[in-house]
Amino acid sequence: MEALAVKNIVKKFPNVLANDNVSLSIEKGEIFAIVGENGAGKSTLMKIVYGLYTPNSGEIFVFGNKEDIKNSHDAIKLKIGMVHQEFMLIPRFTVTENIVLGDEPKKGVVFDYKRAVLEVKELSEKFGLKINPTEKVENLSVGIQQRVEILKILRRGAEILILDEPTAVLTPQETEELFKTLNALKQNGKTIIFISHKLGEVMEIADRVAVMRRGKVQGVVNKPDTSEKELAKMMVGRDVVLEVPQVKVEKGKVVFSVSGLTVKNTRGIIGLKNVSFEVYSGEIVGIAGVEGNGQAELVNAILGFLKPINGKIYMGMEEMKFITPYNMRTRGMSYITEDRKRRGLVLPFKARENVIMGQHSLYPFSNKGILNNQAIDEFVTKKLEEFDVRPPNGYIKAESFSGGNQQKIILAREMSMKHSFLLASQPTRGLDVGATEFVYKILVEEKKKSKGVLLISLELSEIMGLSDRILVLYGGEIVGEVMPSETTEEEIGLMMLGLKRKERVEQ
Amino acid sequence: MNILNQSLAQMLDFAAPILFAALGGVITENGGVVNIALDGIMRFAAFFGVWGASVSKSPWVGLLWGIGIGILVGAFHAYITVKWAGNQIVSGVAINVVAVGIITYFLELIFKTTGYSPTVPYFGSAVNRISIPFISNIPILGAFSNLTIFVWLSLFLVFGLNFLLYRTVLGLRIRSVGENPIAAETLGINVFKVKWFSTIAGAVLAALGGMALSIGSLSSFTNSMPAGKGFIALAAMIFGRWTPFGAMWASFLFASAQVLQFILQATAKGIASKIPVGFYLSLPYFLTIGALIGVVGKAVGPAADGVPYKKEG
Ligand SMILES: Nc1ncnc2c1ncn2[C@@H]1O[C@H](COP(=O)(O)OP(=O)(O)O)[C@@H](O)[C@H]1O
Ligand SMILES: [Mg+2]
Repeated sequence: MEALAVKNIVKKFPNVLANDNVSLSIEKGEIFAIVGENGAGKSTLMKIVYGLYTPNSGEIFVFGNKEDIKNSHDAIKLKIGMVHQEFMLIPRFTVTENIVLGDEPKKGVVFDYKRAVLEVKELSEKFGLKINPTEKVENLSVGIQQRVEILKILRRGAEILILDEPTAVLTPQETEELFKTLNALKQNGKTIIFISHKLGEVMEIADRVAVMRRGKVQGVVNKPDTSEKELAKMMVGRDVVLEVPQVKVEKGKVVFSVSGLTVKNTRGIIGLKNVSFEVYSGEIVGIAGVEGNGQAELVNAILGFLKPINGKIYMGMEEMKFITPYNMRTRGMSYITEDRKRRGLVLPFKARENVIMGQHSLYPFSNKGILNNQAIDEFVTKKLEEFDVRPPNGYIKAESFSGGNQQKIILAREMSMKHSFLLASQPTRGLDVGATEFVYKILVEEKKKSKGVLLISLELSEIMGLSDRILVLYGGEIVGEVMPSETTEEEIGLMMLGLKRKERVEQ
Repeated sequence: MNILNQSLAQMLDFAAPILFAALGGVITENGGVVNIALDGIMRFAAFFGVWGASVSKSPWVGLLWGIGIGILVGAFHAYITVKWAGNQIVSGVAINVVAVGIITYFLELIFKTTGYSPTVPYFGSAVNRISIPFISNIPILGAFSNLTIFVWLSLFLVFGLNFLLYRTVLGLRIRSVGENPIAAETLGINVFKVKWFSTIAGAVLAALGGMALSIGSLSSFTNSMPAGKGFIALAAMIFGRWTPFGAMWASFLFASAQVLQFILQATAKGIASKIPVGFYLSLPYFLTIGALIGVVGKAVGPAADGVPYKKEG
C-alpha cells in the first residue's frame, strides 16, 4: 500500500529551483531514504509535504487520497509527523510541555499539566523511548532532545514519520540507539522517511533509497541492488574519491606553536592541561580526539576568547602577548570554523560582504573609509568562481546558501587573506561529500604553498588521510603523538579513549 | 489613617498606572512582540477616557472609550508587526510620536483648552472609591480601606495574568510563540492569531494604565500625561523578568521612589530645602535607570521577543 506520493512537485525560491518536477512514491511500513548533497532540495520537499512551504505546482497523495496540505495543522491531521533538521523545541519548556504543545490535555481552559506528564510517561514507555517528562529541554543532550521530537510526533498519532538529517548531530552511540528505535517503529507498521547524506548510515537502515541532485530525483534504488559507491556517484554526478593524494612537502620553519598551555573553560573547569606542540610550514598537524576533550578550549585560547591560566602561544618566533583574533590574524593566521552560522559568517550579510570582511578596510576595497564597490565586485566574482560557490552571485545573503556553499564562502575569505598558519577546526563538519572533497583539496593546497595547518577533527579517517603528524587529545592532554604511516585507526582509537599513551617521537 | 497606611495607599495609587502598562508589556512580549508603544497607548487612553466621561458624564463610559482606543491602537501595532511582520520598534515609536501630537491637538479641538481638560466625573471621587472603613485603622491592611477601583483592578490583574500565562492552554501557547514561533507553527498553532491576541490584550492593559492616571485618580486630563510612565513600565517589565509578579514588585519599587520623593521634599530642612524640586521629581527616573543597569544583561526575555515572524515559502 502506498503511504505517501508526491507528483511533479516544483518549488522555486528567488535564487534557485529547489524542487524541479519531483515525483516519489513511498510504501507503507518501509524505511525510505532520501540522499543528496546539501542544497539538493531534500528539506524543501519535506517541508512541502509537511505544509510549511507551498509548492509552485504538483500534487501530494496521502494513503491514496489527493490532499491539499496548507499548513502543519493539515499535515498533522493526515498523520504526517516531521523531525526537523533544526530541532523545533522550546528550551525553556519542560519535556512534557514541548510534547503536548498544540494538543494539550485540559480542564476547561486550564492546562492539565499533571495529566500531560502522565500521558507523556505512558507514551515514552509504550515506544521504549526513555525521557524524564519534567526535565527542562535546555538541560538535555542532543540525542535525548531528538527523542523528545520523535515522541512529539508519535503523540499526534503520526503514521508517516519524516526525519530530516537526524544523525547529523548525533554521536555514533546515539545513532545506533536511533536506528533501533526506527526499526522498532517500522515493526509497528510506521512509514519512515529518512533523510541523510551519510551513505554508510543509509545502507544500514534503509529499504529503498532515492537520490536527489540539484532539485531533481536522479533515481530510486532498492538497497540490496546498490552500493555506497554507486549512490555517491548518483549524488555528485561523477565518481567520488574521498582519498587524499599523499603529497610530501619539505618541512620549513615553525609557523605556530604553543607551550605549556593550560586553559580553564567557561564552566571554570580546566579543559586543556599543559599542552605543547609546534606546527611547521608545509605540514598538516592533525588533532584527533572525542569531542569535548579540549578541542574547544584549544581553539578558543588561540583566538583569545579564553585567557590561558598558563602557557604561551607563538606566531612564528614571536610570543603573542595580547591574544585577540585581530592580533593573531595580523601576524598571519587564518581560521576555518565548524560553526559557520555563528562564527564563520554574518548570515544576513551578502556573500560579497562576507568574502571581504576583515580586509574591507584595506586597499583596494576601501579608500579613506569609503567602500569601492567596483573593486569589491571584481574581487568577489573572481573568488566565488575560484571556490566554486553556487550560485556564484555575491549579492545573495549568506544565509540563503547551503551549508557546503557557506563553507566555500568562508574558504574564499580565509584563503585570500595573507597568512602563514591555518587553524582548521572541524572544517568538514556537516558537509556533504562534494564539499568535503573540496575542503580536502584546499587543505592539501595550503600544504603545497608551505603554509602550516592545524587540523582539528572528530573524523578519524580525515585525520589519518590528511595529517603529516597526529596529536591525540584526551581529557585536555596530549596523550600521544604518532605519524599516520606508523599507526592504525585502532591504536589512535585506544588513545582517544584514554586507554593508551604514546610518547612524542623526537625528530 | 496613620502615616504608614497613607504612604502605602499612595504608593499603590502611584503604582497602578505603571503596573497596568507593565502587565500589558508582559503579555505582549511573552507573545514575541516588543511593545515600546506603552507610553503612547497610555496617552491615547488617558485622553479618550476623559473625553468619554465628559460626553456622557459617566466615568464608566469613559472607561469603555479608553478600552476602545486601546483596542484600536493595539490592532494598529499588530497590523504592522504581525500581519506585515514590520519592525516593532518603528511601529512603537510611530505610535508614541503620533500620540503626543494628536492628543495635544484633540485637547484644543475638543475642550478648547491647552494644558488641562475641564474636570469630569471620575473614579477617584469619594462616591466611586471602594471604602472598607472597618479596616482603616489596622496597620498595613488599612492602606486598602479607601482605594479606587483601578488600584484594585491592577492588583487582581497580576493574579489573573499570572494564571493566564502559566496555568491555561492559551498562556502556554502565547509563551511558546514568544519563545519559538516556528516550533509552535509546526505543532499546528496559529502563530498569527496568538500574536494578534497578545498584542491587543497588552494594549488594553496599557490603556487601563493611561486611564488610571486620568479618570482613575484625577478628574481631568493634563497634557503632560503620561510623563514617561509607559517607559517606566517598560523598565518594570524587564526588571520583573517579563512575569506578572515581577512586574508588580518592580512597579511597587518605582512607585515607592515617587512616594519617597514627596516625603523628602516635604521634610527637607536646611541646605536640603535648597535643592531644586526638579531633583526630587527626577528621583524615580534615576531609580529606573539604576535598576535597569543592575539587571541589564542578566534579564532574559522570551527568546523570540522582537523577532518578526514570517511564514516562509
Ligand atoms: N526559505 C528559503 N529561501 C530561499 N532559498 C531557500 C530556502 N530554503 C531553501 N532554499 C534553497 O533551496 C535549495 C535547496 O535547499 P534544501 O531543501 O534545504 O536542501 P537540502 O535539504 O537537500 O540540503 C538550496 O539552494 C537552498 O539555498
Ligand atoms: Mg536539508
